Amino acid sequence: MTISITVNTLKRFFDVQPDEILLDVLRREGYLEVKGGCHSGDCGACTVLLDGRPVASCLTLVAKADGHAVTTVRGIGDQAHPHVLQEAFVRNGAVQCGYCIPGAITSAKALLDENPDPTEEEIRLAMDSNYCRCTGYEQQVEAVLDAAAQLRKEDTK
Amino acid sequence: MGRITQYYHATSLEDAFAKAKQLGTVAAYVGGGVELVLRRNPEITTLIDLSSCGLDYIAATREGIEIGSQTTLTTISRSADIRGYAEGSLAYWAGRIAHNNLRNMITVGGVIGRNQPWNDVVPHLVALGAQVRLFGGAEHIMPLSGYIEARQPGMIIKGILLPAENAGSKGFLWRFTRTQQDISMLHFSALLSCDGKVVTAANVVFAGRPGHAALYPRLSEELVGKLLSHETFARVAEMAPGLVEVGTDLRATGEYRRELVRAAIVNLEEHMTGVVQ
Repeated sequence: MTISITVNTLKRFFDVQPDEILLDVLRREGYLEVKGGCHSGDCGACTVLLDGRPVASCLTLVAKADGHAVTTVRGIGDQAHPHVLQEAFVRNGAVQCGYCIPGAITSAKALLDENPDPTEEEIRLAMDSNYCRCTGYEQQVEAVLDAAAQLRKEDTK
Repeated sequence: MGRITQYYHATSLEDAFAKAKQLGTVAAYVGGGVELVLRRNPEITTLIDLSSCGLDYIAATREGIEIGSQTTLTTISRSADIRGYAEGSLAYWAGRIAHNNLRNMITVGGVIGRNQPWNDVVPHLVALGAQVRLFGGAEHIMPLSGYIEARQPGMIIKGILLPAENAGSKGFLWRFTRTQQDISMLHFSALLSCDGKVVTAANVVFAGRPGHAALYPRLSEELVGKLLSHETFARVAEMAPGLVEVGTDLRATGEYRRELVRAAIVNLEEHMTGVVQ
């Protein structure tokens, strides 16, 4: 079957099997920034935004995304044009091995889009999908608080 | 799923039901899709997507709060109407169980349709007195507790109704887990209405025993008409371990679960009286 998904603002058409999952299709089509981890919806490495809300792409039937918008971490920012969140993660030492970072940034982006001034508890709840075995989470929470402050400062300029 | 050969985007409830009727047991309706991916059924060859059938809604009506079956837990957790219902217990838990990615995917229809014994939402919906709206060519409504006992294969879960008469009651859910995201060893949920210090109505539900969510009317009877006192809850805590059918599985022994049943009633007492035992 052929489906259309707007990936990072670009409308794409994909030939897929009816039981394929979004993670597999995205990676096959070159979106390698979306990481596979547990393949059971536990670890959050594969997080993408589906119509602005974070989901586990390893448990999302690709056919369910037909006609919808998907944002990967590269749609948020890349090395040439990093997002404030990505800069804050680096600045706060929130990146070690880096494998979980695409998912973590994606969850954090969804949070800040809806809530520009989150509390620490709200950040932990919004990122409770994203396992990180390196940082112990503290630096990631600090990075999101830092990014939120930066973004609010930019908004008031 | 085994080999899925067709993913059908239904355009209406009638269309979805006709398709399912035509295909019989090889067809399955898609809610959030999480369970379909995690626990593949080799007999299923066609998935019927209901997302274009207008089932993603929350509406306050005279009868209560209607929640469409395609509504996600995140949407439920953010609804002002549901935050104001039974002291916001459903909204609170819908925003905390599983994790954020899953809360954005799991639908209320999916959890009811699948009704896995470890499900966190169903026991609380049963305690809240939820009714389930079904569509099988025509619409009918039945208590969710009854639906769990008598599954209706082929019927579409259109949504649920949280009855208006329970809006002012106190909802309570307790998950006995080792960590926040752990699967429960036992679920306990209750809904209590009071007139001053006297209990006027009560629903008591245990789930993950490891069996499905079940109401315990004998325990409710023991609460109704009684004072919100330590003596009342102590009597129920003594009775409950003998009444609730518990079993042993990988998560806990039956004996341990019986202790949790007792602890659940103590927790309810603390919640209702504000006095820590």
